[in-house]
Amino acid sequence: MEPIRILTAVPICDGHDSAINTINLDLIRYGIEVIYLGFHRSAHDIVRAAIQEDVRAIGISSYNGGHVEFFSEVLSLLRGRDCGHIRVFGGGGATITKADAEVMYQHGVDQIFFAGTPLEEMVRYVQTRFSTPVPAVINTSFEDRLIAVKLSEIEAGKSVEAQPSNRVGPRRATKVYGISGPGGAGKTTLIDELALRFLRTFPADHRLAILSHDPSVVGSGALLGDRATMVYSQDNRVFMRSMATRGLAGGLAAASENAVKFLRELGIFDAVIIETVGTGQEALPFGFDHSLTDLATLVMPPDYGARLQLQKIAMLDAADIVVVNKADLRGARTAVSELESRLRSTHREHTLLQTQANRHRDPGVDQIFRTLFPATV
Amino acid sequence: MSYLGQLIESVRGYDHFVEAEVAGVRKDPAKANEVLGRWRDIVAKVGKTRTPTGLELPTLALPRYDDPGEICRFLLEGGLPGHFPYVSAAYSEQYLSREQEEGAAGEKKGEEPTRLFAGLGIAEDTNQRFHYLSRNQRNKRLSTAFDGPTLYGVGALVPGVFGKIGEGGVAIDTVEDVERLYAGFDLDQPNVSVSMTISGPAPILLAMYIAAAKHRFGPDTVSKLRGTIQADVLKEVQAQNELIFPIGPSLRFLADMVEFCSVNMPRWYPISISGYHIAEAGATPVQQAAYTLSNGFAYVDYFKNKGMDINVFGPRLSFFLDCGLDVEYVALARVCRKIWAIGIRDVFHGDERAQRLKLHTQTSGRSLVAADWKNNLTRTAIELVLACMNATNSCHSNAADEPFTTPSEEYARYAAHAQAILLEESGIFKHMMSTLAGSPGMQVVGDAVQKAILDEFEAIEGQGGVLGAVERRYQRSQIQAAAHVLESQISNGTRPIIGLNRYALEDLAWPELETIRTPAKKKKIHQERVEDFHRRHAGESQRALDRLAAVVEQGGNTFSELINCVEHCSLGQITTRLAEVVGRFRPMV
Repeated sequence: MEPIRILTAVPICDGHDSAINTINLDLIRYGIEVIYLGFHRSAHDIVRAAIQEDVRAIGISSYNGGHVEFFSEVLSLLRGRDCGHIRVFGGGGATITKADAEVMYQHGVDQIFFAGTPLEEMVRYVQTRFSTPVPAVINTSFEDRLIAVKLSEIEAGKSVEAQPSNRVGPRRATKVYGISGPGGAGKTTLIDELALRFLRTFPADHRLAILSHDPSVVGSGALLGDRATMVYSQDNRVFMRSMATRGLAGGLAAASENAVKFLRELGIFDAVIIETVGTGQEALPFGFDHSLTDLATLVMPPDYGARLQLQKIAMLDAADIVVVNKADLRGARTAVSELESRLRSTHREHTLLQTQANRHRDPGVDQIFRTLFPATV
Repeated sequence: MSYLGQLIESVRGYDHFVEAEVAGVRKDPAKANEVLGRWRDIVAKVGKTRTPTGLELPTLALPRYDDPGEICRFLLEGGLPGHFPYVSAAYSEQYLSREQEEGAAGEKKGEEPTRLFAGLGIAEDTNQRFHYLSRNQRNKRLSTAFDGPTLYGVGALVPGVFGKIGEGGVAIDTVEDVERLYAGFDLDQPNVSVSMTISGPAPILLAMYIAAAKHRFGPDTVSKLRGTIQADVLKEVQAQNELIFPIGPSLRFLADMVEFCSVNMPRWYPISISGYHIAEAGATPVQQAAYTLSNGFAYVDYFKNKGMDINVFGPRLSFFLDCGLDVEYVALARVCRKIWAIGIRDVFHGDERAQRLKLHTQTSGRSLVAADWKNNLTRTAIELVLACMNATNSCHSNAADEPFTTPSEEYARYAAHAQAILLEESGIFKHMMSTLAGSPGMQVVGDAVQKAILDEFEAIEGQGGVLGAVERRYQRSQIQAAAHVLESQISNGTRPIIGLNRYALEDLAWPELETIRTPAKKKKIHQERVEDFHRRHAGESQRALDRLAAVVEQGGNTFSELINCVEHCSLGQITTRLAEVVGRFRPMV
């Protein structure tokens, strides 16, 4: 049976993430895949993400007041996008009163948890209430919903044809860019910065897809948290999907290849960016000849250890672009020169770049953007 | 070596120095005589007081030592109140001076100058609350809580924000809102001080405050303004999540504001280095102290590197700590004062005024629970005693109904009166300094806390210093881990919470409390005001924003420009424009 996928978030102008962090960890222990959107998120961001991720429910943790209005807004946006089947539940300690909850139930909220509810009770609720998949019969013209449902079918192992689009507008030649690297190298930040440049550079009818991977916990669920740290990628022009590896080693999920092919064949996106999980030395997520991607990028932190370690990183033999991120850190210069000599030993064309992706308007990220989207310059 | 590494060495070095001095005094009779002579002078100079029950007491409690080594250790290790390293108190007569001001018996006395946190609805609502809370006070200390949209610098007109306007704090979007907020208070008078609990958009809010004060009291008021603004961006990244811009630009905007205040606002505290929110996020007491102190030193280092003078900005730094029920709080603030004093003296070479850690304490909000909630009165009372045992300079006590709502007037009054009962009605603190200080238990806890804090400093240093550790999410993940432990301890009962997981009533009724909410009508009024402000300034706002953006790009002092900018631009307009120039804060999870 397919794992239950839900989305959790904290509303706009609210940074109280302590409760939801605890709840997320408990949910994944019980086999649930949680897409965590993070704190300070608007109703639009939450609904967009829920639809793209094709979740069964949205859990909202609200501690800063205004919950009656906020939950209602989420519900009405869902209905407006023919997604009323996505249930909404939540809690806010003692800030949501019984009387508030009554009003919220009338608006269509599925469940409010009050202060003192044991974690097990919440887990049980999610497990039982959302155990059955939503019927895939969809009656909508809403593009993201159509794509999302197909991706779910692909994830469930079904073969799917890429013809959802009653879309008007030109077919795009979709490029596929793979981005890989060890955990903490800054892949997500880099992709978010690339998305910002995409949105600023391309006209409003151009879209970008991001396929992001996070590991499943052994034998259970997964915390898919890349969205939580992305600020620019929460945009109607970006279609993002988070996938759990569900036991597959190597950086991607079993369904990733078909998902990428599907997204490419749609002809909607200018590019699909694939983010792998944090990879180990032996990983070649895009294969050696990477038939899946047009360009494969490896993001490295400067502190990879001894020079000898570089010899063992297989992806250095397969990547088209190698990025030393966090170039402000001590050791970055050494890393660049060591990588230069390591790359000379391979027989491929490489581009070696330095970035400081967490810096606004970083020239290194500009350079990667120009490499990936040359037509725009 | 980084400043944190030097700091660890300095604190350990100081303890070694004390022991060496003690040994020296014990070996050298001449030194011993000198110490004994000094001690006799100190004892002789202590004043006398008489309690209402007729008991005669000294105004300072001193131990009955006659061994010169012990005396030497006592004086150096802790210091007398107001003496380096300020372990027992930052000032020599902290709680006593109030009593000396007291007039003749029977004369109506103004209530103690407790800071009372208020913020609800739109500007007039909070203004009214300020007038109610300060009606009996000689000194008007207005402490302002802001609503979510203001804390995040999100304009009231942004879609989806409507429900949050005026919830949990006051909604402020423009300089005109600030004028309404403090209407009827003489901001230029020495008995009025204002504090603002806001960090991300702090420079914009302070700019609005300055502009509002100038409108009402003329351009010369700026130097007379008294108060505090939180402006602690590092703790936002570590715990509270209310940050707008990336850390680098956030620090720069802060430094520009601190620099302006150092020159133009000698009575203003431009930053309140806050452990409160770190502790409220679930950190252990030691984590609270270690992260807060190291954040403080990181600011000092950053400002010094910008060419600012420690002896100018140093005395204007203040601290804000949480006080909960854990045993660490028996001595936590005392240890913090010691580490701060040694660090400022030995690592940053600041003078005495900069060495004194000025502390505001708030009782723990996290320790309050909804179950059998009137127990919260007792929790807060115990925390108040602990805070005063640690000689906090000022205190905020929480209202018992806070787990549900913005405090009602009734419980806000009980909270304020709890302090008055402790400091005025009870005799524990008002007759004598150090009444409860210096017990063996306090000493032992203090030693253990200091060791644990220094260990935590070493861990931070290993992560590349404070800013490096922030970047690597070190403090955040440590706090989250501690919060998780705390929750599971409460859940499995190893941490007793009376009325919740122990001695809980079988059938606990949901408390019947009036929850304070802002009616939609008022939210609407607020939005209309913002719209109106935008309309009236449509001609000027774009140019003002362009000027501000130019200053940011060119590297000038952004704060001076902000003071002009707020005349024509709302909070949301300013943050939106600034984010285009410097980027947005990417949340850490």
